[in-house]
Amino acid sequence: MQQKLQIGESGHLSDLIIGQKAKVMALHNENKALRRRLLDMGITKDVVISVKKIAPMGDPVDIELRGYELCLRLSDMQNIDVEVIE
Amino acid sequence: MKIALIGNQNSGKTSLFNLLTGSNQKIGNWPGVTVEKKSGYIKKTEHELIDLPGIYSLSPYTNEEKISRNFLLEEKPDLIINIIDATSIERSLYLTTQLMELDCKIIVALNMCDLLEKKGLTINEEVLSKQLGVDVLKISALKKKGINELVDFINKENFTKKSKQIYEPTIEEAITEVSKNLKTDNKRFISVKLLEQDEDFANKNLNNAKVSKNIKKIEEKYSLDTEQIIASQRYNFVEKVKKACVIESPKKQTITDKLDKVFLNKWLAIPIFVGIMALIYYLSVGIVGTYTVDLVDAGVTWVSDNVSTLLTNWGASDWAISLMCDGMIAGMGAVLTFVPQLIILFICISLLETTGYMSRISFFFDKIFKKFGLSGKSLIPFILGAGCSVPAIMTTRTIEDENEKKATIMLTPFIPCSAKLPIIALFATYFFAHSWLVTASLYLLSIVIIIISAILLRKFIYKGKSNTFISELPEYKLPSFRYVARDVFEKSWSFIKRAGTVILMCSIIIWLLVSFDWTFTYGVDVNDSILADIGNCLAWIFYPVVGEYNWAVTVSAIQGLVAKEQVISSMAVIAGLAEEVTEGALIFSSTGIFGFFNPVSAYAFMVFNLFSAPCFGAIGAMHREFGSAKKTWFAVLFQTGMAWVLAVIINLVGSLIMLL
Repeated sequence: MQQKLQIGESGHLSDLIIGQKAKVMALHNENKALRRRLLDMGITKDVVISVKKIAPMGDPVDIELRGYELCLRLSDMQNIDVEVIE
Repeated sequence: MKIALIGNQNSGKTSLFNLLTGSNQKIGNWPGVTVEKKSGYIKKTEHELIDLPGIYSLSPYTNEEKISRNFLLEEKPDLIINIIDATSIERSLYLTTQLMELDCKIIVALNMCDLLEKKGLTINEEVLSKQLGVDVLKISALKKKGINELVDFINKENFTKKSKQIYEPTIEEAITEVSKNLKTDNKRFISVKLLEQDEDFANKNLNNAKVSKNIKKIEEKYSLDTEQIIASQRYNFVEKVKKACVIESPKKQTITDKLDKVFLNKWLAIPIFVGIMALIYYLSVGIVGTYTVDLVDAGVTWVSDNVSTLLTNWGASDWAISLMCDGMIAGMGAVLTFVPQLIILFICISLLETTGYMSRISFFFDKIFKKFGLSGKSLIPFILGAGCSVPAIMTTRTIEDENEKKATIMLTPFIPCSAKLPIIALFATYFFAHSWLVTASLYLLSIVIIIISAILLRKFIYKGKSNTFISELPEYKLPSFRYVARDVFEKSWSFIKRAGTVILMCSIIIWLLVSFDWTFTYGVDVNDSILADIGNCLAWIFYPVVGEYNWAVTVSAIQGLVAKEQVISSMAVIAGLAEEVTEGALIFSSTGIFGFFNPVSAYAFMVFNLFSAPCFGAIGAMHREFGSAKKTWFAVLFQTGMAWVLAVIINLVGSLIMLL
């Protein structure tokens, strides 16, 4: 079990637990097409994301942003830097 | 006018298309139902309406999204109806900001307005319209509200389009400067794409010194790349628009969230899934199967007897009576027997699709499937494949990664489709006490084989790392009775139609080949018939599978290529002629030509038919998706090889166990 991130701490989107909210700081995805897709889906700098549901086996994760929900794999969320705000 | 329907996935484009044109295109409650463009005419007008696959952005990510973008750029519709899911307006409007950059009129159709209240949202469409500079109309495709108003509005052909500043001044200036040098349509759109360094446009010689100069200027100012800045500023604009026209009241926990607490629960999710799948097959093959098969069978026998008596009274010749009863009626009857079971199966699949549960299955199985080199999205074709492989293979287009997609195309036919169900039902009910358990075991086997094959394929043929999984969980919805009924009717009717056309044709041919010998003498012993000789040439292939050198089994199994249910139809015709019986249950009578079957060889034969090359229809679908004859041949040989090896192993091991 990894350490829970505290408010104000930085980490990856994949580190959040259900109910936590964080602000996106940067995207590092090497796959350019995927990065483009994530931007299109609204994962831009400064957007606020919260973790809503986690699949029964821990992956993928359902996140909430911009008033809608999106499912992503943990491996893709590792490349998104965030700062916990709630 | 040529009108394009554009919107996010699962925003209700096809529902609106069906309402406007009066057609019956397939809809569902999961992202990616539509993978091809479809066109029709709006009722009582001359306007052509084109339904396109759902997109999130005009930067396409998958192939079917490219269809939508290319249509907009190359075919230049006169009007775009941008359908928006009012309950996720922010993401939807992001696409709108891109459509606004095209040289094309737009109407924004705010769909799912009936759900706003439940979500605690109010949208002021007049403010929205003013903010966007285009016309906005509220509709509900589900409740059929606002549709006439939409048509009236289109007919007036008086559309607003005011240009809006979306970005900060630095970028707006750059766009103006770049577009001055362009001599194309859609100047603003292409300028933005050039600044974003979109590959499709960067290579088209539209590039000039102005572009790179401006990119440098922007990136220096924001210390981020243009792609990120433009996406960010689009969303900033959308946020501003949303703030102006949407009132949000504090959120309550929705029914969907409550249901997901159960259906996506750590401990309950898998048992519930297994339970649901077991229930589907228990209902269709178990309960309903046993009751209805006998009933329909009795009906077929009754028809056959009466026709026979009637023809005899009319003084018809022996061969004519035999052609009618042993050929046509027996052949068609053998497959029609299973219609009630298929109806139950089709209802169940339709419910999985429309309630929104299917997307959950792909969500929680993604982790397992990733390990085997597939995506959670592969599960959708696999589930739909239980109905028919052809549409199932087409839905593989929503899988992002090419190699994952190819592996899924090849493995989808391994799922026992509805046409294979009659084969399974016939053998399982006759040879085993608990037929639904045997059926379940075959489905389990097919899952195991899919997993093993996936690992093999991804390791040796379709190599590459597992890619990504980006999806959405649609809201749970109560299934619409009308939709389910129509869907089930269409599928069942196409099965019945096949019985009256392809199966009937084949039955007549089989009857001819089995009633005559090479000198065209009628009424020979079936073992001396033309068909027997043909079958005997190839019977060695099936010797290891069924443990018997039998021509009749051989020719029947090969006919599975035409349609899988033809296997049992052929068996019924041959058995009928050999035995002077027409009833399906007597196919396996101990003195008959198929009397040698025992539980072990029956299981092996079912396995062969289940995994071997699918019918021509599905092979055609595979060919379309692979886009290569070589790959299709490889798939067919792989499937058939796999089927044969498996069946032989089962027959050998099973026979050994029986001896002990």
